[in-house]
Amino acid sequence: MLRQPLSRALALSPSRVAPLGIRKFADQVQAQPDKIEVFIDDKPVYVPPGTTILQAAAQVGVEIPRFCYHERLAVAGNCRMCLVEVEKSPKPAAACAMPVMKGMRVKTDSDLTRKAREGVMEFLLVNHPLDCPICDQGGECDLQDQSMAFGSDKSRFTDIHFSGKRAVEDKDVGPLIKTIMTRCIHCTRCIRFASEVAGVDDFGTTGRGTEMQVGTYVEKMFLSELSGNIIDLCPVGALTSKPYSFAARPWETRRIDSVDVLDPLGSNIVVATRTNEVLRILPRTNEEINEEWLSDKSRFACDGLKRQRLVTPMLADSRGNLTPVEWEDAVVAAARALRDCPPDKLVAVAGELADAESLIALKDLFNRLGSENVCTEQYFPLEGAGTDLRSSYLLNTKIANVEDADFVLLIGTNVRFEAPLLNARIRKAFVHKETDIALIGPQVDLTYDYMHVGDSASVVKDLASGTSSHEVMKRLENAKRPVVILGADQLKTPEGAALLAYTQELALRLQDKLVDKEWKVLNVLQRTASQVAALDLGYRAGAGAQLAAARVVYLLGADAGLVTREALPKDCVVIYQGHHGDAGAAIADVVLPGAAYTEKRATYVNAEGRAQQTWPAVTPPGKAREDWKIIRALSEVVGSRLPYDNIDEVRTRLSEVSPALVAYGEVQDNNYFAQARMLSQSLQKPVSGKLDVQLKKLEDYFMTDSISRASPTMAKCVQAVLKQKQSPY
Amino acid sequence: MFKALSATTRLSRTTLSRALPSFSTSSARLAIEDPFSKKEAPIIDNETVLALPEEIKEKTVHDATISVSTKVDVSPITGVPEEHIKTRRVRIYQQPKNAMQSGTSNIHHWEMEFDTRQRWENPLMGWTSTGDPLSNMKVQFATPDEAIEHCEKNGLIWYLDVPKVQKELKPKNYGLNFSWNRRTRVSTK
Amino acid sequence: MLSSLRSGVQGLWRASSRALQTTANLQHDSLFVHRDTPEDNPSIPFEFTPENKKRAEALLAIYPEGHKRGAMIPLLDLAQRQNGGWLPISAMHKVAELLNLPRMRVYEVATFYTMFIRRPIGKYHVQVCTTTPCWLRGSDAVLNAIKEATGCEVGGNSPCGKFSVSEVECLGACVNAPMVQVNDDYYEDLSVEDTKEIIEKLKRDEKPKPGPRSGRYAAEPLGGLTSLNEEPTGPGYGLQEGLKA
Repeated sequence: MLRQPLSRALALSPSRVAPLGIRKFADQVQAQPDKIEVFIDDKPVYVPPGTTILQAAAQVGVEIPRFCYHERLAVAGNCRMCLVEVEKSPKPAAACAMPVMKGMRVKTDSDLTRKAREGVMEFLLVNHPLDCPICDQGGECDLQDQSMAFGSDKSRFTDIHFSGKRAVEDKDVGPLIKTIMTRCIHCTRCIRFASEVAGVDDFGTTGRGTEMQVGTYVEKMFLSELSGNIIDLCPVGALTSKPYSFAARPWETRRIDSVDVLDPLGSNIVVATRTNEVLRILPRTNEEINEEWLSDKSRFACDGLKRQRLVTPMLADSRGNLTPVEWEDAVVAAARALRDCPPDKLVAVAGELADAESLIALKDLFNRLGSENVCTEQYFPLEGAGTDLRSSYLLNTKIANVEDADFVLLIGTNVRFEAPLLNARIRKAFVHKETDIALIGPQVDLTYDYMHVGDSASVVKDLASGTSSHEVMKRLENAKRPVVILGADQLKTPEGAALLAYTQELALRLQDKLVDKEWKVLNVLQRTASQVAALDLGYRAGAGAQLAAARVVYLLGADAGLVTREALPKDCVVIYQGHHGDAGAAIADVVLPGAAYTEKRATYVNAEGRAQQTWPAVTPPGKAREDWKIIRALSEVVGSRLPYDNIDEVRTRLSEVSPALVAYGEVQDNNYFAQARMLSQSLQKPVSGKLDVQLKKLEDYFMTDSISRASPTMAKCVQAVLKQKQSPY
Repeated sequence: MFKALSATTRLSRTTLSRALPSFSTSSARLAIEDPFSKKEAPIIDNETVLALPEEIKEKTVHDATISVSTKVDVSPITGVPEEHIKTRRVRIYQQPKNAMQSGTSNIHHWEMEFDTRQRWENPLMGWTSTGDPLSNMKVQFATPDEAIEHCEKNGLIWYLDVPKVQKELKPKNYGLNFSWNRRTRVSTK
Repeated sequence: MLSSLRSGVQGLWRASSRALQTTANLQHDSLFVHRDTPEDNPSIPFEFTPENKKRAEALLAIYPEGHKRGAMIPLLDLAQRQNGGWLPISAMHKVAELLNLPRMRVYEVATFYTMFIRRPIGKYHVQVCTTTPCWLRGSDAVLNAIKEATGCEVGGNSPCGKFSVSEVECLGACVNAPMVQVNDDYYEDLSVEDTKEIIEKLKRDEKPKPGPRSGRYAAEPLGGLTSLNEEPTGPGYGLQEGLKA
């Protein structure tokens, strides 16, 4: 049943099992200081000096309770829940902030420790409302769990004067986060997240003592593209999700692991569903991609999956209105159009949310019909090496490695909104590794300081030829692990090919000089989740000239507005296959309803070239079907049957085209940089244009694809951001 | 009862976790007797104790069971409809940590689950209905090897999903909040 | 200051509804969130005067480059003094701008310290100490006298707008209890009459003489010295005869 290549591609290679930390760069390999031995509950563990007790305990699988400590945030040490007994120490120590010392003996389950925890729990609960039954965090609340595990079994809280508990006014921080500040236990995780990771210093504590409160002081929306993460971080129900409020309890939802497709990074997600409805999306830890964060669009656009959906096949009637029909009629109509059309007038355009399975099926079908006109919406220069070499269109450095960069040059990209979690990585490097960043392109807010090198394309040319006298040139030359990231949007312009050629030249000139031969400098940041898979499969990037002469256009979720009725001949038949009634369906003559990413088992390749699969969380609505199956059915009616009947066979076909497409979770190194550089040498023509980015401000970020455009939450976000811009704060 | 284990059996067992194929290419597997599953010491009879080493060697050679690699497939007798065995796929995975919470209890095991099938809202009570009896079957295993073994025994097509990667231990430091000349100096203190 | 102020709105609310929950004993006399009011909103510009600008520069010069935020409290104080004893939000914004800090960081500091007053107050901020030593020496009577003379509730402003009264914790003049602080001056050893007189003078914008009212100069004993009251003895005092030179 399973074919050999597939199983080989899926084989668990040693690199996968090995921890991420194995990868060391040439200059990082240095003598590690001797590890010291400490004892956690009499279990010996060797850790590097400076490790905290809490981390050392985690090494031996002892989990110390905590509220304020978070692995990815600075140590605050203010909740005191992690107090543990340390032998020969008169008082319990806060494990999250206390570095281990040689031979230290820590008791995490002694009487003193338990008493300390009980005391902390009691203090926290004195001012925490007992509203668990109406609290959205109920069932997945750290405070609930820890009070069960470590709290006292009886209460000493006797409010004989009926003076009540502390009450705090709720804050309004936008349409995504609901605040019930009385529940806040002042762990300051949200404050630290906002200031360290999101880079938006809007949260803080005001007042002091019993009147201290976490908030923004003035009424202000949390203007960040990563704001949803503070909902996850909040250990209590003070910050909860507004769109999800009172929707479900965690134990009634079914959680399905999946992959996000609303940005090119392919963040790992968990889709929580109930009654065939996606209720919310949460991040799933993947150190190599999203760590444990998720951007707001990926998290909150899921209500767009319920709206504006194509639920039934449709055909345009005599007056041009789309009317619902049966699958047979639609498929026959589509097949007739495809069969009757001369092959050179057939054009297929794949959109930004297309999965690899449907892409290959569509391409195979078109090839069988004799057409080579299969293209993507997003353009990529076809001159030089074009899309033949994978290294030219991928994020070669890889997302996780960006953290180790010592100089990052961004060319014509607003990473913050094009790939928010990549920006979070760059920011992480900026904060923790003192990495400096330079930007060529319009001045945008990236949440960290950067050197602005102007916005004209000629700057790239000067840098590539080494004639630039700018400080950035020197910094790049001296960098040990430089990273150059080019935004794919720049390649659409007539000067795109030259810009790519210069960027390749610059990156490879830097790479040649590096001590670390493993380090990759050149990166192209794609804008969409489907582009890499499409290019891997041999799709032509960008549809242009063919459209003007097309007789039949097959849109596979192409909603970016590239294909318009005006651009097509009058009698052209437009077949639209996709899941949302958006720009594509509006111009279609035949509509074939497909499945969204939460409804199918499908392969997506992220900007690094990492294939990942989504799993069906819910069933497609109405008569909608999985995309590759629609094309497979269509092929039967057209008369050139595609040779695959189930998803395994489609994937075998995928692996025939490129084994990387089914090597799930893995990403391969690409090494054809020199060849690409050689081929692009002739393209280094003078450039004079200005670099511009599409997403400049936060309000541009929320609605970029057919799912997020259909999402009311995203629309509210745009409105709220625009309203916030009016505010003097 | 002094049963020698064939070398091949032992080898396949111990090397499994290292060279784990993530896909079953054939459902034929070796009959395995797990040496670690014994709960008690084997009882050795007097004859064996008193025997000379050569005799023991000879005896073991004669007594040794020869395990022939055969497919152990219980699917024909489990009564699971063929449709569920032939067309469905089992994902073997480790449950991800709930992003909403810090704790990691109850996720240190491996699970198998079948692919999702249609569920619908029951018109009578509004509960979720499904026609899929296996949708709620989440079997837990200590190791992926066990899960694989179970799947193969039941003739199920499985695949392993290993997204988890360990994070490098980076010592955290409270002092960094106050560092004088680094960007880690937090403004929130 | 950590006493129970009930603003008019809250009083109304309480009167009209059942007391489901009262947080009287936990209520602070100032809010820890900002509310735009006609007197205090970010569209009212705030700018340091030329003299204060010079002072601000001098303050900033004290702190090393990269750590200018250390000047936050002095700058906020400067702004508060310039603005008649209270700190409007636009002043906080100005300070944030001067220090190149996120505004929230300034809000945090300004709300933490009770000496930054974030609501419009009268020209004379009368702070009455009611901590134990002063209370034992009759601070209640003093407070009542002030309330009567100014017509001002604790935590509020007087109808004339000239006075604000707050109850404060120990101001460190226990030996001269009871005492009040008016703006930067201490008035100590007060009786009810003294208090009334001070308020009357302030009403006429005369400055009463700060310090103890009991005739003391500072913290010396009231009835003259009870010890160390003779001339200090010279060298050689009490030395046995034989050792004297």
